[in-house]
Amino acid sequence: MLLQDLSVEFDQGFQLKQINWQVEKQQHWLITGANGAGKSALAAVLAGYGEILSGSTGGLPSSIGWVSFEAQAELIDAELKKDDADITDVISLGTPVREIIFTDEIDRSTAQDLISQFELGYILDRAFRKLSTGESRKVMIIRALSCKAELLILDEPFDGLDSNTHALLQAHLTELAKHTPIVMVLNRFDEIPDFVSHIAYMENGELMHQVERNDEAAYAELYQLLHLKTTQLQIPPADTDTVIPALNPQQPLVKLSNICVKYTDMVLINDLDWTIEANQHWQLSGPNGSGKTAILSLITGDHPQCYTNDIFVFGFQRGNGESIWQIKQFIGYVSTALQWEYRVGTSLRNVIISGFYDSIGLYSKSTNRQKQIADQWLTLLGMQDRADYPFNKLSYGDQRLLLIARAMVKHPPLLILDEPCLGLDDINRQLVLALIEKICVSNETSVIYVNHHAQDRIAGIDNYLALEKSADNS
Amino acid sequence: MSNNYFNTLPLREQLEQLAKCRFMHMNEFTEGVDALKGKKMVIIGCGAQGLNQGLNLRDSGLDVAYTLRQAAIDEKRQSYKNAADNGFTVGTYEELIPTADIVLNLTPDKQHTPVVTAVMPLMKQGACLSYSHGFNIVEEGMQIREDLTVIMVAPKCPGSEVRAEYVRGFGVPTLIAVHEDNDPQGQGLALAKAYAVGTGGHKAGVLMSSFIAEVKSDLMGEQTILCGMLQTGSLLCFDKMIDKGIDAGYASKLIQFGWETITEALKYGGVTNMLDRLSNPAKIKAFDLSEELKVIMRPLYNKHQDDIINGTFSSTMMADWANDDVNLLGWRAETGETAFEKTPAGDMEISEQEYFDHGILMVAMVKAGVELAFETMTAAGIIADSAYYESLHETPLIANTIARKKLYEMNATISDTAEYGCYLYNHACLPLLGDFMKNIDTDVIGRGLASDDNGVDNARLIEINEALRSHPVEAIGATLRGHMADMKKIV
Repeated sequence: MLLQDLSVEFDQGFQLKQINWQVEKQQHWLITGANGAGKSALAAVLAGYGEILSGSTGGLPSSIGWVSFEAQAELIDAELKKDDADITDVISLGTPVREIIFTDEIDRSTAQDLISQFELGYILDRAFRKLSTGESRKVMIIRALSCKAELLILDEPFDGLDSNTHALLQAHLTELAKHTPIVMVLNRFDEIPDFVSHIAYMENGELMHQVERNDEAAYAELYQLLHLKTTQLQIPPADTDTVIPALNPQQPLVKLSNICVKYTDMVLINDLDWTIEANQHWQLSGPNGSGKTAILSLITGDHPQCYTNDIFVFGFQRGNGESIWQIKQFIGYVSTALQWEYRVGTSLRNVIISGFYDSIGLYSKSTNRQKQIADQWLTLLGMQDRADYPFNKLSYGDQRLLLIARAMVKHPPLLILDEPCLGLDDINRQLVLALIEKICVSNETSVIYVNHHAQDRIAGIDNYLALEKSADNS
Repeated sequence: MSNNYFNTLPLREQLEQLAKCRFMHMNEFTEGVDALKGKKMVIIGCGAQGLNQGLNLRDSGLDVAYTLRQAAIDEKRQSYKNAADNGFTVGTYEELIPTADIVLNLTPDKQHTPVVTAVMPLMKQGACLSYSHGFNIVEEGMQIREDLTVIMVAPKCPGSEVRAEYVRGFGVPTLIAVHEDNDPQGQGLALAKAYAVGTGGHKAGVLMSSFIAEVKSDLMGEQTILCGMLQTGSLLCFDKMIDKGIDAGYASKLIQFGWETITEALKYGGVTNMLDRLSNPAKIKAFDLSEELKVIMRPLYNKHQDDIINGTFSSTMMADWANDDVNLLGWRAETGETAFEKTPAGDMEISEQEYFDHGILMVAMVKAGVELAFETMTAAGIIADSAYYESLHETPLIANTIARKKLYEMNATISDTAEYGCYLYNHACLPLLGDFMKNIDTDVIGRGLASDDNGVDNARLIEINEALRSHPVEAIGATLRGHMADMKKIV
């Protein structure tokens, strides 16, 4: 089957856009994605649904076994219409299950076999539309599996099934998969049957990623992405015992005045003012060498010239006997440089906990509460199974995700994200952006976001500072 | 010529001072940097130690400035750039020293006498002078004005590490001491503790020692096991491998990275663990070789320790200072011309375990050197804690410099004093081990034991394991590593 540059419109105006997809005979696909991403729509296209706006389809099979909420609804709808059509006083009982199942295209012995396996003998004479959701779902499944189809489309087939039936169905599908291609729609990876060989990931009506099951790295990333997109993103709570001192709401978080950063032979930043009020989100941009990182490190206290500039941060006028740890307690920070410095073999859990202490590595005894919170973050990132895994053995993207969690763990008044998506692949980039958006919306943290890519704009950021290369920079 | 301070003390006091060393408890630092809050700290010298300690102290909320000689400022030398680019106030001795509550002398040993002589008259009444090495006081007998407090704060790592660990939220192990002859207000300890907190040292562990114990143990450790043994071992092992037809790139790599790899095992579990990384037959081989080495080298270790204790070493070296470092510079050039130094490491893979299996002789040399240095120091009255730090504890740090850029990097990183002592050791040790090396073959350096048979005699193995584990350096090591682990990274 081949879909080429295919755009399709459905009844409610939903569109699939520019789909390019090829399904080979020996392949079994899983279509996944968040709610509303277009998973079921893509499956429905294979069954011939939707109005083609552009592009082409080829090789679609004529006989398809299709299980889906939509197909089920269609059948029930048809049953209801029959009832309406019968304008007598006699209450129509509707079509009995036996007739629904045993139609011409059905392989009777397979159907019979499944009916006994699913222990459905008792409903054969009941009216289809009187069945419970689970029962009618089983009927749909039996129809689909017994219809000698060239292709099976199973859209959330396990929904509403008890665990026994679930297992039976899994076993049966494994058998079927030996000779019939199967396309499944699931929004949970943990139900994915072993025979699935390929995964299609949908987002906003587009087929964003196609991954082979045995590409372990890509598969793991997709797993995380799906996890993040389908979980109600709940930022874990702050640790009530790790107290960040209260800030005076009348004062800006950061006030930089007449900032100059210069070295013996060059001027990097000349006469810059920047004020960040509480609850403002900022995007900072500028070409390489314009001093973005220097400005941020003046705020974090990592730039040595923070002592020679007029810098007011979190109630401290810098250079009056405060320590950098008093400043850092208000800041969560992520940058490529941090990731480069964070080369320790400590566990993933400890990396997140180190955010409470603003340290690289963990040098303090952590509390049980902090461990719990760290574990909640790991769950959020889909890494809960790897809590004790060494950080430096992780992929680059996973490390970045963890460092973002580390930066956010204490719910800092200021979160600085210096090109957080740099070097991340597409999947991880989307993960990171989703997390940041969540933080921006929560409104307890001000975000400074640095990036080059216009497409990485974040909903909720509405202040912009663009730096230019200093003219004196010669 | 200078007066050796140590030699002016009665034996009773010499022994008392040599025996000072105590691992301080975390709760002794609850006052943080308070003793230095609001005081003006002026650092002399802006090299790696000077700059990085200053950065840490300032980030801990302390008031830090740098003073350099007029010429360094006028010519905008590197030391000036280091300080100015980092936003520090820089001024001449005349401008800044009179304002200082505490003057931090972080110049090289060799400059201590002229520097201290120049700044002392400019210092405020009742101010504090701080050193990071006691050579000037102990070996040169520098007399400090009676109203001044004299302390020592010595981070036991290169300057870059001092900064890197602080930025991570940790610190490096630090030794502090008060010169008891110069503690008129009894503030010395409080100031030294606050200084150690300011550089982050308290998080990694602080040793309370004396100027004398620091100098005598530091000199001994650095010139024997730490630098001397590693240099001599590198040259002998390399030449032997080349002689026996082993690929030069492989030989160079095995040595350059081998010291670091095998002493990493030392860091985690002492000599015992380092030997335990070998197969049983290899362990017995390494043990026997090290016993042989200890017998051959013991007189040399004794001589170094004796020369250090009685001041012969320092007066010899100071004579070279007075002679424009002719010996030091000559030996440095000579080291640069050795075959090992001139042969780049090959690009073959050597697994972590292979460094042990093919470096049995290197393991034996480290074991012999660590144990001899420890035994000699403790026999001279230095207590086990100091002896442990100045031998076993620091070996991996020095090995790390060789991994970076061979002997050049090691000799560039350590002090001139250590480098001078290292060459002395090397020149004596190379001929001393001549006969021993004649019997050495590639089974213990370069290729590993030939036989696949790992069988050994039970009684012999038990005997060796017992000997390894009951050595006094292992007992004190286990205790001190235990303290450190409490503070150290939760790995």
